[in-house]
Amino acid sequence: MITRDEAQKLAQKVLGLATFPECQVTITSSEQAYTRFANNGVTTASFNLRHNLSIVVTRDGRSGSMAVNDFDDASLKSAVKLAEELAAIAPPNPERMAPVGKQEFPATNDLDERTAAARAPEMIPHVKTIIDAALAAKMVAAGLIERSLRVTSIANKAGLFGFHRSSDSQLTTTIRMADGSSSGWAGQPSMKLSELDSKGLAAIAIEKCSKWKNPQRLEPGKYTVVLEPTATGDLVRLMSQAFSARATEEGRTFLSKRGGGNRLGEKMFPEFVTLRMDPFDARQPSSPWTGDWLPTRTMSWIEKGVIANLAYDRYWASKTGKEATPGGGGGFGGGRGGGGGGGAASLIMEGGKDSLADLIAGVEKGLLVTHLWYIRGVNPQTLQQTGLTRDGLFMIENGKITTPVMNMRFLESPVRLLQNCVRIGQAQRVRGLEGGMMIAPSIVATDFPLPSVSDAV
Amino acid sequence: MVAEKMFGAPKDSKAPNPELEKLAANALREAKKFKASYCDIRIVRLRDQRVSLRVSPERGTGKSLAVPGVAEDSSFGFGVRVIVNGAWGFAASPIVTAAEIARITGEAVIIAKANATIQPKPLQLAPVKAYRDRWVTPHDKDPLDVPMAEKIELLRKVTAEVKKNAKVFSGSASLNLRSEDKYFASSEGSSIQQYILQIYGNVDATAVDRENNISRSRSYVPTQASAGWEYVPEMNLEENAQRIREEVVEHLSAPAVKPGKKDLLLMPNHLMLTIHESVAHPTELDRALGYEANYAGTSYITPATIGKRIASEQCTFIGERTSPRALGTCGYDDDGVKSTSFTIIDKGIFKTFQTTRDQAHLIGEKESHGCSQADSWATVPFQRMPNVSLSPGSRETTLENMIAGIDDGVLIDGRGSYSIDQQRYNFQFGGDAFWEIKGGKKRGMISRVSYQARTPDFWQACDATAGPSYWGQYGTTGDAKGEPTQINSISHGCSPTRFRKIDVILTD
Repeated sequence: MITRDEAQKLAQKVLGLATFPECQVTITSSEQAYTRFANNGVTTASFNLRHNLSIVVTRDGRSGSMAVNDFDDASLKSAVKLAEELAAIAPPNPERMAPVGKQEFPATNDLDERTAAARAPEMIPHVKTIIDAALAAKMVAAGLIERSLRVTSIANKAGLFGFHRSSDSQLTTTIRMADGSSSGWAGQPSMKLSELDSKGLAAIAIEKCSKWKNPQRLEPGKYTVVLEPTATGDLVRLMSQAFSARATEEGRTFLSKRGGGNRLGEKMFPEFVTLRMDPFDARQPSSPWTGDWLPTRTMSWIEKGVIANLAYDRYWASKTGKEATPGGGGGFGGGRGGGGGGGAASLIMEGGKDSLADLIAGVEKGLLVTHLWYIRGVNPQTLQQTGLTRDGLFMIENGKITTPVMNMRFLESPVRLLQNCVRIGQAQRVRGLEGGMMIAPSIVATDFPLPSVSDAV
Repeated sequence: MVAEKMFGAPKDSKAPNPELEKLAANALREAKKFKASYCDIRIVRLRDQRVSLRVSPERGTGKSLAVPGVAEDSSFGFGVRVIVNGAWGFAASPIVTAAEIARITGEAVIIAKANATIQPKPLQLAPVKAYRDRWVTPHDKDPLDVPMAEKIELLRKVTAEVKKNAKVFSGSASLNLRSEDKYFASSEGSSIQQYILQIYGNVDATAVDRENNISRSRSYVPTQASAGWEYVPEMNLEENAQRIREEVVEHLSAPAVKPGKKDLLLMPNHLMLTIHESVAHPTELDRALGYEANYAGTSYITPATIGKRIASEQCTFIGERTSPRALGTCGYDDDGVKSTSFTIIDKGIFKTFQTTRDQAHLIGEKESHGCSQADSWATVPFQRMPNVSLSPGSRETTLENMIAGIDDGVLIDGRGSYSIDQQRYNFQFGGDAFWEIKGGKKRGMISRVSYQARTPDFWQACDATAGPSYWGQYGTTGDAKGEPTQINSISHGCSPTRFRKIDVILTD
C-alpha cells in the first residue's frame, strides 16, 4: 500500500507533468480481503489490491479528467496529455470554482492497524463459529466477512495536499431453516475486526429463524412499527440527499416551500429527532476533507426536530453568500446541481436510553421489523420509498412478541416516518443490505403503510 | 502503455497476443507447483469514457448555463483463480508483471487452502473444450477513437433541443463508451483474447411547478448496445429530445391515476426491467440453491419447478450471450465457456437455470450455460445472468390491436422505481411516463402510477405480446449481485406486452 511519502512524490510528479495552470490529483489505493459462505461452506474468497490515480486539469474554465491505474512514467505522461486534450475541446464550465489552496485537515482517527492487515487466519474462525452454530441448530448459514484498508491522497497545483488511511470490517449472516421455511439475519459493521462478535450474531440470526417459522398473513394497511436500528438506518440515511440548498431552492426537495423559499428553522419533527454528521465519531470511518476538498467538520441537519442547516457546495455558497459546508456535494465543477449532496457521510441519528426490549414493551399492537430490502425511491420530492421487510417480521401485542408475520411491502417516506416517530431507543452503527452506513437508533413509529404481502422467506 | 502493447494484435487476427500467453503461463506454472487441480488467469484492461452536458438556469438571472463533464478512466490488472484441495481461491493485483503474477497465484493458493478447511464437498467443474481464439464485438468504428469534439457537439445539440420549451427547468444528456480488453488462460488449455464494446446514451428533462411543489422528470434511454460508433446515429437522440421536452411538461400537470385493477400495456423499454427482476434473476441457479441467501436472496423457482408452468403460453424466454448488439454478448464467459443460447421458459413451462461450470452438475446437467462473469480483473467470477429475452408473439399481434382490446388500462413507457423481494415474488414497478387507455383507445398522460404483483400471477396474466417487428433489446448497466457487490451489463429483448387485471397503485 502506498505511503504518505510515496503518495506525495507521485502527486508532485503528475502535477509537474501538467502544462495547464490548474491540476488536481486524487490517488486511491485499497486492499480488501473477504470470505463469502453459504449452505454451510465457503463459496468465494478474495484478496485483492487496487490503485487508481485521477487527474483533472483546467485552463480558462475548461476541464478534462483522466484516471489510470498504470503508474509508470510513460502512462502518467500520457494520461496528463490526454486530460489536457480533453480539456482543450471541452466547453468552459460556468460553475467552476477556483482551486482550493493549502489546507490543514483534521485527524479523523479511523484506522485500526490490526484490521487493516487481517487475512484468512483471523477471518475463517468467525465463519466457522457461525457455520458450527447453524449446524448445531440444524440450520443453514450464509454470510460475508470482510475487511478493507483504503488510502486516499489529494493534491493540487495551488499547494493543497492531503493523505488519509482508513480501515473497516463487517460480518453479516443469514441463517435459514434447511427446508427454506424461515430465515433470520444479523449483521455488525465494526471499525475493529477484533470486535466482531460472530457467536453473538449467530445466536441472533438463529433465534430470529427459530421464531419466524410459519408466519401468518396480515391484512395490508397502516401499522405501528418498531424498527430495529438497521431498518431505521435503511430509511433515514436516504434523507440526507434532500438537504442540498440548491435543490431545495430550485423547488425539488421536501424542504422546498410552496411558491419558493425553504423550511430552514421550522420544527418539522418531534423534539427527540436529531440528525447530524460527525466525521470524528470513532464508531464509523470518515474522511478528513469534504467533497470540495475543504476540512471536514460536524454539522447538524435536524436539531431537536428543527431543520438546522442546508448543505452548500462551494459554487452554491458563492452564489448565495453562504459558507460552503460538508455534505454539499463537492465535485470540482462547482455545484452538482442535480439535487444530490446532503450530509450522506458520517450520518448520525441520535438515540435515547431505552433498549429495543423497552420499546417493544411499550407497544400495545404493532410489528417488529428486523431490516429492509430493495429500497427504491418512488418520488424524489417527498422521498417516498418502497421496499420490503426481510428475515424476521413479528407481531407485538401488549408489549410482547407474539406471532411471526409474513413479509410485507412498505411505501413510505423517511420524512413521514420521523414525523410519526413516537419513541427512540439506543443508537448503534448499522450497515444495511444496500450498503448504506450510519449510526441509527431503534424507533417506534405509527401509521407505517404496508400495502401488500410478500410470500418471500 | 504496457496494456496498449499487450492487447494489440493485427486486424482480423484469430490468435491471442503471444505476450499475454507468456505472462499467463506464470500463473499456470506457479499453480501447478502448489498442486492446484485447476487455475485460470484473466488479464483485463477496462476503459470508460464519459461525456455529459447539463443545462440549468443560473441563480438570479435564469440564463441557461451548460455544465460539461468530460472524463476517461482506464483500469488494468489481473486476477488468478485456483482450486486447491477442492476449494476456490482468488487473488488480484494491478501490477501486471511475471513476478507479481507468480506472487499473487501463491496468495490465491493460501486462500484456497484456508477455505478447504471448512468446505463440505469438493468443487466439481463441468467439462469444457480448450479454445485458442480471439473474439471482437462486431463494429466498424471504435467509439473510443471518435474525436471528443464530435461527442460534445452531439450533446450540445441534444440539450439545446430539450431547453427549447421554456417550461423545462433543466435537462441533461450523456454518452458513456466502454471497452474491455480481456485475456483468459486456463490450466485446461484455453487461451482466449476478447475485445468487448458498449455504448450507453441518455437524455432527460426536468420540469418544476413551484406553486404546487411538484417536480417531474422524463428521460429517453436508447437501446444500450454492444456496438461501434456507427450505432450512435440510430439512437436518434435529438429527435427524442424534442419528444421528451413536451412530455415532461404534460407529465407535470397530468392527473393522478385512479388506483385499482387495470390492464397494463408495457413497452419494451419498461418491460425489460420487469423481465430482468422477475424472470432473469429468479432463474439464476446460485440463487435457487441458496448461494446468494445473505444478500441478493434466493428464488421462488427451485430445481423442483423444472417442467412446471410459471407463466402463460405467450411467454417463452431465451437466455443467450450471442444476440447481436446485446450488452451481455461476448465470445466466451469467464470460465472459458463458448457463448451459447438456451431456453429458460418454453410457452410458460420452466425448463432450466442459468449455470456456470461449478454449478451444472448440481442440477444433473453435463455442460455449463456459459454464465460466469466478473466485473473487473479484481473481482471473482460467479454466476451472472446472460441476455434474457421474451420471444415475440405472432405477426398479427400489433400494438394497435392490443390497445383496442383494453377497456380500462395504462400504457407504461421507460424505467421508473423498481423493487422486488428476495425470492422474487412481490414486486412494485413504476415507469417514466404513463398514458391512460380507455375504451380501447390511448388517451392523455396520467401520473403517480406504480403497479404491484406477485411474479407467477403476473406472468400468468400475460395474454398477448406483439410481433417480431416490435421486438427490441434494452439494456441495464447496473445489475447488482454478490458480496461485495459486482455490476453486470445485459440486455432484455421483448415486444410491447399486455397483462390483465394488475393492481395499479397511487404513489406520491
